[in-house]
Amino acid sequence: MTGNKKRSGIKKWLIAAVILLLAAVAVLWYLFTEKFDDTKTVKADYTVEAGAFMQEFKKDIRQANAKYTEKIIVVSGVISAIEMADTTANIKINDSLSGSYIIFAFQDQHLAEARALKAGDRVSIKGSCSGGNYSEILESEKIEFKRCTLTK
Amino acid sequence: MKKTTLILALVMTTGSLFAQKKTTTSAVISFDATTAIDALPKADNKTAIASLDTKTGKLAFEVTIKNFAFSNPRIQEHFNAEGWMNSDKFPTATFKGDIKNLKDVNFGKDGSYKVTVAGEITIHGVTKPIESTGTIVVSGSKIKATSDFKIKLEDFNVNGGAIAAGKVSKEPAISVNAEF
Repeated sequence: MTGNKKRSGIKKWLIAAVILLLAAVAVLWYLFTEKFDDTKTVKADYTVEAGAFMQEFKKDIRQANAKYTEKIIVVSGVISAIEMADTTANIKINDSLSGSYIIFAFQDQHLAEARALKAGDRVSIKGSCSGGNYSEILESEKIEFKRCTLTK
Repeated sequence: MKKTTLILALVMTTGSLFAQKKTTTSAVISFDATTAIDALPKADNKTAIASLDTKTGKLAFEVTIKNFAFSNPRIQEHFNAEGWMNSDKFPTATFKGDIKNLKDVNFGKDGSYKVTVAGEITIHGVTKPIESTGTIVVSGSKIKATSDFKIKLEDFNVNGGAIAAGKVSKEPAISVNAEF
C-alpha cells in the first residue's frame, strides 16, 4: 500500500516535470522561431507629417529618439528620391534647406511597392523607426526606418 | 552682368560634371554570425552612408546599428542591448580609409578592378586598423564597390554567453555593397 502511494507520488512528479519541460521547450521554440510581422498588419504607434517629424528631431534629438525609436510610425510626405539597387529600393524625403532627410528601407515582400514609386509622389509609409543621428560624411542629420511598407 | 552669370553657370556645371566625391545613402552592409547550432544571428542594413573620392581614393562608411534588420525580434533586441552592441551608447559603426592601389583603377573606363582598402574601423566605440580586398566595377557613370571580410568580436569588446555557447560566431562575416 505504502509502496503504491510512493510510486504514484513519483509518477505525479515525473508528469509535472515533463509538462514543465515541454512548456519550456515550447516557449524557447516560440522565442527563437518568431519573426517580425508584416508591417502592413501592425498598428502604428504614431502618424506624422515628414516636415514636422524632422523638425521635432532638429529641436531635441535626444527626446525625439526616446519617443520614436523602435516604434511603428506612419510618415506622410513627398518623395525626394528613390535609391534602387539589386536588393533594395529606399525612399527618401529630404528637407532641402537643411540637407537632413528621412530614409525608408522596405520589407522584402513590399520592395515592388517602392520600385513603382517616383520622385514627387505623395506617400504615406509605415515602418519601424531606428531613430535619428548626425552623419559626419554628409554633415547633416538623418532619420532611418526599416521594415517599411506603403499605407496608400 | 550676363557674361558673369554665364561664366558662373559654366563653372558650376563643370564642377558637378567632374565631381570627385561620390556619396550614397543606400549602401548595404550585412553581417552573418550564424553557427552550426544557430541560424538566426544575421542581419542587413540597407541605409548605410558611403563616400568615395575617385581622385584621392578616400573611402568612408557610416552605419546606424539600430537599422540592422533581423528576422527575429528577440535576436534584434539582444544585438542592440547593453551587453552586445549597446546601440544607445554607440549608435554608429564607421570606416575611414583609402584604396591603396588607386593607380590600378580607371574610373573613366568600364571594367572590374581588384582593390586593397586599408583604414580604421570603429565598432562598439573601439577603433582598430583594418585591411581588406574588394572589387570596384565601373559601368558608365555608375561605380559599384564590394568587399567581404571578417572581424573578431573580441577585438571590439563584444563578448557574451552566446559566443561562448557557440550560438554566435566569434568572427562574423561582413559584406559591404555600395553603388555610387
